[in-house]
Amino acid sequence: MLIGLGFQHPLAVGLIGVALLIFLVALGVRVVFAAALVGLLGLVELIGWGPAAGVIGIVPHAKSSTYALSVLPMFIFIGFVAFHAGMTSQLFSAARKWLGWLPGGLAVATVFATAGFAAVSGASTATSAVFARTAIPEMLEHGYSKRLAAGVVAAGGTLATLIPPSAILVIYAIIVEESVGRLLLAGFLPGLVSALVYAGIIIIWAMLKPEQAPSVPVEERPGWGERIAALPPLLPIMAVVFIIVSAIYQGWATPTEAGSLGAGIIFAVALLRGTGIKPIVDSLMETAKLTVMIFSLIWGVTIFVRFLGFSGLAEAFTQLVVSIDAPPMVIIVCILLAYAVLGMFMDAIGMLLLTLPVVYPAVIALGFDSIWFGIIVVKMAEICLVTPPIGLNCFVVAAVRPDISLPDVFRGVTWFFVADVITIIVLLIFPEIVTWLPDMMN
Amino acid sequence: ANVDGPSVFWKISMYGNPRALTSGMEALAEKVAEETDGKFQIRIFYAEQLGPARENLDGLKLNAFEGAGICNFYHPGKNPAWMVFSLPFLPVANPQADRYIRERMFEHPAIVADMEKWNAIPYVSGLLPQFEMMGKGEPPRSLEDWKGLQVRAGGGLGDAMELLGATKQTLSAGETLTAFQNGTVDVAAFPYTYAHVAFKINEEADWYTSNMSPGSAECGWVLNKTAFEALPDQYKVLIWDNRSLVLDKQQEAYAAQDEKNIAMFQQTLTEVRYDEAALEAFREIAGKPVWDKWVADNPGFDAQGVLDAFLGYAEEATNP
Amino acid sequence: MTQDMPARGIVARADRLLSPVEDATNMIAALFVFALMCLGIAQIVLRTIFDTPLTGYVDLVELSMAGMAFLGAAYTQRMGAHIRMELLLGTLRGRALWGAEIIGALLGMAIIAVLIWYSGEHFWRSYQLGDTTMDAEFPVWPSKLLVPVAFALWFLRLSIQLAGSIRLFVDPTRAPEGVCVMKHAADVAREEAVLPGTEET
Ligand code: NA
Ligand code: NA
Repeated sequence: MLIGLGFQHPLAVGLIGVALLIFLVALGVRVVFAAALVGLLGLVELIGWGPAAGVIGIVPHAKSSTYALSVLPMFIFIGFVAFHAGMTSQLFSAARKWLGWLPGGLAVATVFATAGFAAVSGASTATSAVFARTAIPEMLEHGYSKRLAAGVVAAGGTLATLIPPSAILVIYAIIVEESVGRLLLAGFLPGLVSALVYAGIIIIWAMLKPEQAPSVPVEERPGWGERIAALPPLLPIMAVVFIIVSAIYQGWATPTEAGSLGAGIIFAVALLRGTGIKPIVDSLMETAKLTVMIFSLIWGVTIFVRFLGFSGLAEAFTQLVVSIDAPPMVIIVCILLAYAVLGMFMDAIGMLLLTLPVVYPAVIALGFDSIWFGIIVVKMAEICLVTPPIGLNCFVVAAVRPDISLPDVFRGVTWFFVADVITIIVLLIFPEIVTWLPDMMN
Repeated sequence: ANVDGPSVFWKISMYGNPRALTSGMEALAEKVAEETDGKFQIRIFYAEQLGPARENLDGLKLNAFEGAGICNFYHPGKNPAWMVFSLPFLPVANPQADRYIRERMFEHPAIVADMEKWNAIPYVSGLLPQFEMMGKGEPPRSLEDWKGLQVRAGGGLGDAMELLGATKQTLSAGETLTAFQNGTVDVAAFPYTYAHVAFKINEEADWYTSNMSPGSAECGWVLNKTAFEALPDQYKVLIWDNRSLVLDKQQEAYAAQDEKNIAMFQQTLTEVRYDEAALEAFREIAGKPVWDKWVADNPGFDAQGVLDAFLGYAEEATNP
Repeated sequence: MTQDMPARGIVARADRLLSPVEDATNMIAALFVFALMCLGIAQIVLRTIFDTPLTGYVDLVELSMAGMAFLGAAYTQRMGAHIRMELLLGTLRGRALWGAEIIGALLGMAIIAVLIWYSGEHFWRSYQLGDTTMDAEFPVWPSKLLVPVAFALWFLRLSIQLAGSIRLFVDPTRAPEGVCVMKHAADVAREEAVLPGTEET
């Protein structure tokens, strides 16, 4: 055993620390305080007050001033400014003109419009909120059932985290020291696959129950001229997608630089479309607030992780998991189920930050690809945004539409939950969907 | 036990994964445990578990761990005298000479004083190999050929490249391959030979230099002074007398990689070797001015003395 | 919810004194973000068009990160935006709720106090013993100094919230002052739902 002399005590302290952290977080102490405090206490027990307090005093600055993390404020800023540039309604209108003829066409259009908006936004809940205002009225007007309309908007919002730009993917990359660029590329195809599976489910739903998703009458279908005319306003979004993907892919800019250029373009578009000073200042203030929130979580949890490092707990956990006599696939499914349970109660970023330092080395030791695991875990976290008890996306939709009740949203989303489970199974069976694009980089 | 004593557990803070650089320290840990029947345990904590690489000296100052791997260029301001190891085109003839110079330099008062501030003692050099260049296109056979090339090189080496008329590009190691593929960089300087292979530069390159020795750095091991002084004498001796074991192991590990890699390079790439006159010219144009600027920029300690000591040991190593 | 009532208590006065400072520091953090965007664009233009990348761009970004990561901490605390799990907390009312808030504020103050002191020492080491960035060798201490400064402001905000919570613990019927009235998940959702810029449809 590697755990030799002088190491049993640290392990015990590590375990107690994990328990204490779970307790404090469950009690409602802010995650940054709980993690940093437990980290400090654990370190004090292991190396004494002076060194412990000194070590944690280093963490906030050292962890935050990492170049790779500088992409986060850029991505956040893009999302906030995109709201002001009025890009949502244009996206939906274009998607509707192109896809409206399909069975359940308006819902399918909503899926692809949210996927398009995901290319400028990394926030699931915000995406659902915007489309609840844009897409739901139109669907209801065309006789769609409330459940379907609400469900597709709640589920579509989750695409924002997979399709770059995505803050969660950057955070995952930072924690596990993977390339940010590779991770962002990796989210692209799974995001599209998710959208396609959603679309497939809708089409089946519409064919089984046409009364819940009536087709658009032939005479209302737009001609090709009208369809093509809907595209130019989408240019800024396409530009951002192109910049971020091609920069990472061809290496002419770092993710931060590509994010800066993307933000600059969206910002310029917002100005050109007459956005005033007030909304711009607001979006800057919101960006700063969200940035501080995420960075606080990162350094707070890093203090806890520092303590785990001194205690050797992560390595012990890895040894334990590797020594379990079961196929790796069974173990990974168990880990994913644990995430599903955790995700019911926790915010996705906090959940990743708290669990990855211990879980990730074990998953890698089992022989899984780190990028693949990142995408799967983020997808799991996203599923939790549409499941009870705190499916935030569903809350958002119900809040925007007082005429749609929360139980209705949850029922409507059930089908999409099934779609997500299918997507996860597809990604488990065909990991190439995740790894193909990033592997093309080299 | 060959060496008797109390139970001691030492934590060493290290960045990255186990590799050639860490093989010597691992060997030391094994040896020390063996000699003391497991009473004295040294454990390397990889991947910045105990602290970020750039703040390892702070960790020693705080007595958070008992030893650390540090790189001089991560924090020039923390170890100004150590930056002598990063000066370009120092006359280092071969790995043996390199080891001799570094062993002697680790006892130089200014090098020791840099660590003293941080409550640290220089232990052994990491023997980071000299850099060599790998590039695409026409090989630069003469000094003039370097004009206009885009070279990935940082710090003093980057300045030296500019003196040769090349443009320096500061890129992280991981970004270099992509930059190489799309032509933003023509030449990349990396520790020879393992780093070129680690970052797959050799797969894209057409040529490599084998004796340019444009510079290196010092990524070595330092100990916590408080912890070292608190050791019983027999443990101190054990650690101190095994410095050559650490260096031997590191050298072996690098040599084993070189043997494999050089054969591969020779098969697939064009080797560029410069004669002594050309090397002297490199030193004159791109070396000496940077050294002098470094001395002028560092009035806080006897930088000229540090440089002279280095050159003196280099001379001794070549003509004993 | 009680903004229209003139608040005369000491907690309310402290709150009103600190708020503009927090707004200003958060705005500075926002300007750092904006500057980062401009710097990134400038770097792309200079490198790809003029072939002369900014020396020390990465160093500059790394030093400026502290401006974005810390300066808005107190503002974020006032807005109640530092993540916590409200599943249990959301079921509490009155004295139990304010008791929990007191504990939360005390724990936060304890850890932030330690961090103010020791991040201050971290700054002091870099100032006294020397520390520079890798590439352009800029001094690191100004960036490290931002941490204790921003955290001191955060500590003040936490003290106000503590005082406000104690005040309400003593008498839960009083109008809330200087505390962050907890939003339930549905309220958060409602707030997301009225994001600026979404009203155009
Ligand atoms: Na996105
Ligand atoms: Na949930």
